[in-house]
Amino acid sequence: MDEKRLIKEEFSNYKKTHSESLMPMVDRVMRESGCQLDDLDGIAITIGPGSFTGLRIGLATAKGLSLAAGIPLVALSTLEVLAANVIGCDALICPILDARRNEVYGGLYLMKGFTPENTYPPGAYEPEAFFNAINEQVLMSGTERCMILGDAADVYWDSVKRIMGKRGIKAPTHLSLPRASALASLGLKKLERGETEEPLNLSPTYLRLSEAEIKRQKGEKA
Amino acid sequence: MNSIKILGIETSCDETAAAIVQDGSVILSNIISSQIAIHQPYGGVVPEIASRHHVENIGQVVNQAVTEAGLQYQDIQAVAVTNRPGLIGALLVGLSFAKGFAYALDKPLIAVNHLEGHIYANFLEHPGIEFPLICLVVSGGHTSLLYMSGHDESRLLGETRDDAAGEAFDKVARVLNLGYPGGPVIQKAAESGRAGNIKLPRVFLDRDDFEFSFSGLKTATINQWKKLGAAGEHRADLAAEFQAALVDVLVEKTMRAAEKYGVKSVLMAGGVAANQYLRTRLEKEGQKRGFLICYPSLKLCTDNAAMIAGKAYLSYIRGDFAGLSLNAYPGL
Ligand SMILES: [Zn+2]
Repeated sequence: MDEKRLIKEEFSNYKKTHSESLMPMVDRVMRESGCQLDDLDGIAITIGPGSFTGLRIGLATAKGLSLAAGIPLVALSTLEVLAANVIGCDALICPILDARRNEVYGGLYLMKGFTPENTYPPGAYEPEAFFNAINEQVLMSGTERCMILGDAADVYWDSVKRIMGKRGIKAPTHLSLPRASALASLGLKKLERGETEEPLNLSPTYLRLSEAEIKRQKGEKA
Repeated sequence: MNSIKILGIETSCDETAAAIVQDGSVILSNIISSQIAIHQPYGGVVPEIASRHHVENIGQVVNQAVTEAGLQYQDIQAVAVTNRPGLIGALLVGLSFAKGFAYALDKPLIAVNHLEGHIYANFLEHPGIEFPLICLVVSGGHTSLLYMSGHDESRLLGETRDDAAGEAFDKVARVLNLGYPGGPVIQKAAESGRAGNIKLPRVFLDRDDFEFSFSGLKTATINQWKKLGAAGEHRADLAAEFQAALVDVLVEKTMRAAEKYGVKSVLMAGGVAANQYLRTRLEKEGQKRGFLICYPSLKLCTDNAAMIAGKAYLSYIRGDFAGLSLNAYPGL
């Protein structure tokens, strides 16, 4: 996309693995939008949270493209990109992703113009405690509503309803998935602000240690 | 044809590696970023931790390979990457990077099988090897004997029924409190011991096929260790006997295969081929029986990307390129 328009977007949530589908998709988007890599001023990537392997496939691909083509890389939080799906909404926005092991990756955002501003730090949280904390934030903010979205919204909807009551509203499915167009739109602003990343040693924001590290820490404490 | 320079990328286990090889024979650079120290506290490779380090380091390692070869990105004619077998999450990092990199350079992508890469390491250093030949593949994940009539024409003669040789080394090293990785620490411990002081079985040596089994040897070793009260004074002797028992079977079966199939050359490949005792024994036995024995130098025995870039040259001249939907696979 450029400053004025979204030129082409693709989205798929079906069968094929990221590894098989990502680069063919990039190639189609480039061809069908009539772009050369040289025409690009930046590549935006969701840096996390999310599935560890999925984040690495995205970032490793973006690093390869960025290094070889000499195009700057901008990184955005997956949660912030999700929040941007409901730009213009005056509610607080709470994106949540299923982190498995009975946790959610979540945060809280308030729309400032067209940019989501983070008001509760992204993290891997125990769902009940997290929704209680979010509920307090909503009460304190004086806003009446909190929009819940992301793939964990369905999974934990019962808890949300119980804790937040009518203050919690669930975004429709089509706004509940991270979109490359929202990512590119936020990425463009970051690029204009000069907030690019050094692609050489960039790592995903996992928000959680590997299981082996967690076990080891527990073992050391015990 | 101009000289063909191929960038190889290898992330199948715990080494992030990139190399540039010209015409499948001249190594212009060979960069390996090892994670051994990182996995040591866990007593083995932790796949998630390995993948995290791969994605962090891959760009740096590739850049170093290009710089050390004295090249620019544009001088690379193709990008080769290991896509099987290995740790799936680890493979996907190298594969994804390679796809993006090759696409942006508008150069072909070549998929390389990790084990075929290990075998090719022999040809990087000894270009004159003639087919047909017998190849012993010994690594942390595989132990097999192959009959090869060409680079891409191989027949499996036999393989391990249970543990790979490298796996047995790792497990025994752990029980003997020698640490990780098993191969080097057992080799070191065995130097101050004597094989034969404690007796361990040569499993499957009585069979006239080319199958291996190391799980029984591993268990016998561990039982002996317990029987001896896990006493430190027996550690070196036990390590030496374990290593000898394993190597006896590997070497003897390899020799039998070479005799049965009437080949002149015998190759060895894979991480365990770095074991000094195995190298010496195979060399001696081969000389005695009139075979040409070949194994890679230490640097090319363990995981590296030069072997990947080397093997890819054969695909390059055939025009055998991979599409952007190429995937990675944990198995062969
Ligand atoms: Zn290997």
